[in-house]
Amino acid sequence: MGAANTLAAPATPGLRAAHASRGWQAARRRAFALGLAPALIVLLAITLVPAAALVVASLTPLSLTDPAGTFHFRDPLGNYRHLLEDTRFLGSIATQLKLSAASVALQLAVGLGVALLLNRPSRVLGAVRGAFLIPMVLPPIVVALIWKILFTPDVSPLHRALEAAGWPVRSLIANPDTALWAIAFAETWQWFPFTMLMVLAALQMMPADPLEAASLDGANRWQLFRYIVFPHIRPVLVVCGLFRLIDSFKAFPLIFVLTEGGPGTVTEVTNYYGFIQAFNFSYWGYGSAIATVILAGVFGLSWLVGRLGWNDHGKH
Amino acid sequence: MASTDATLPIPTRDDAPAAHRARTGRGWLRRHGRAAAALVLLAVTLFPFLWLVQLAFKPAADLFEDSLWFIPTLDGFRALLQGSFPRSFLNSLAVSTLSTAMSLAIGVPAAYALTRWQFPRRRHVALWILVTRMAPPIAFTIPFFLAYRWLGLQDTIFGLALVYLTFNLAIVIWLMQTFFEAVPTALEEAAYIDGCGVWQAFWRITLPLAAPGVAATAVLCFIFAWNDFFYALILTRTQAVTAPVAIVNFLQYEGWEWPKIAAGGTLVMFPVVVFTVLVRKYLVHGLTAGGVKD
Repeated sequence: MGAANTLAAPATPGLRAAHASRGWQAARRRAFALGLAPALIVLLAITLVPAAALVVASLTPLSLTDPAGTFHFRDPLGNYRHLLEDTRFLGSIATQLKLSAASVALQLAVGLGVALLLNRPSRVLGAVRGAFLIPMVLPPIVVALIWKILFTPDVSPLHRALEAAGWPVRSLIANPDTALWAIAFAETWQWFPFTMLMVLAALQMMPADPLEAASLDGANRWQLFRYIVFPHIRPVLVVCGLFRLIDSFKAFPLIFVLTEGGPGTVTEVTNYYGFIQAFNFSYWGYGSAIATVILAGVFGLSWLVGRLGWNDHGKH
Repeated sequence: MASTDATLPIPTRDDAPAAHRARTGRGWLRRHGRAAAALVLLAVTLFPFLWLVQLAFKPAADLFEDSLWFIPTLDGFRALLQGSFPRSFLNSLAVSTLSTAMSLAIGVPAAYALTRWQFPRRRHVALWILVTRMAPPIAFTIPFFLAYRWLGLQDTIFGLALVYLTFNLAIVIWLMQTFFEAVPTALEEAAYIDGCGVWQAFWRITLPLAAPGVAATAVLCFIFAWNDFFYALILTRTQAVTAPVAIVNFLQYEGWEWPKIAAGGTLVMFPVVVFTVLVRKYLVHGLTAGGVKD
């Protein structure tokens, strides 16, 4: 690369410097492109190509029984037409929306509350902040295992305590009325630290002057929160909510370990239904169509994050 | 931290001496109430997690007792050693390490190029890289599953590590950009004048300065790969089974052996919890990547 500097050697020194600099710039660009290319090629191969393959597969009735014979495009939209009539699929979307709404709302509420509680400079609170992150970093399968234990009457300390108090309760995950709530609860336990973390970061970047001015003017605590703190952290809460909403579409280990979509299909979310169609029944074409729908939903929401999170952030 | 001093101050308008005397009785609560509440909340939050850990050390005979007074035993861990668990644990280590190495090797130069080279579509490329992290795994698993059947990569450690690049590469590129931005360009320019090429300057000057960032990013990549369950469930069968999948197999086929299962869970989360303590500050960066405007 250093050679580029000495390549051009025109007459006047000024011109020579300009030429050399242009050559150097070009060499620099080439070097950067060379560094960037492998990553872009790999990303292309492992994200865009599979996504395209997924959409192609979703246009065929591909399945395990006859992979060669079922890979055809005679009825490209057949899977999608079938999706619209598939009550189990439509039900799974409703379940997904219920679960996502409940767990994201709970996460935001709990995360915000804990963040406000911990937002003080103190050694104890600082250490506590770190410990609160544990649920979020645990392997999801361990989180599922933890809640499997707590929801299994035999070994659950909660069930035994309730029983000792003369208040025996059926396992929450075996009861169709509560199974979805149990999962939303476990999901909230796992992910409220994310909101907590983001809100704490936002609170620490908050200017102190408006708060001081308002409290001098006689604003009480609730008013300070409602009119000064909350408007400041609202954009962060919106971004958090969207991030968690996107991630909630991927919920899998909890449902796989706790309920397997049951009892019946009350906890069968779209992601799980797609998994069953593709890998239990080996209807790869149909499973791909379901995955394509989820992918479209996720992209729609990501686009929203891009708009709200990046352009509006800081304007409020 | 200075700015946090003033966030949410307790209103101190009623400073009349009488009111002050009345408050001294509640002085302790006022001073330590918040910390006490936080500690209680933390205990409640971590209770499920701690219950799993104590279950791993509980003798099978005491399993259905609530008492925490038992003689800890390592029977659960010993039972694990006899089965196929050690192998799946090693598989997990190998897959996570390989995936981390590959994503760093490809991702770090790319992040550097993205930081220092302002090309026209830069913003779009950066956004695309971030969005790949958002994509639902199921959208990738079906094509990867079908392709791996053809390529013979099913149930191999390399195949699984390759799939983990779908999320880890985005993490590396995104995080390392913030670390490279922190290294002043003046140092590199000095190196250029001395005749260094772009990558020579990067290797000799920028990378050593960003080394803590690389370490933190590596830890994060490792954790993400280590934590994965969905891809491993679908793309492995017997040879490359990872520890999370092994735990689920216990649950399905030996569901009554709670101490053994709890011991497996404890072992699987152990590295993650240790890493969390080690790199807490950077972890916060990585987990919120893209969420807060840089």
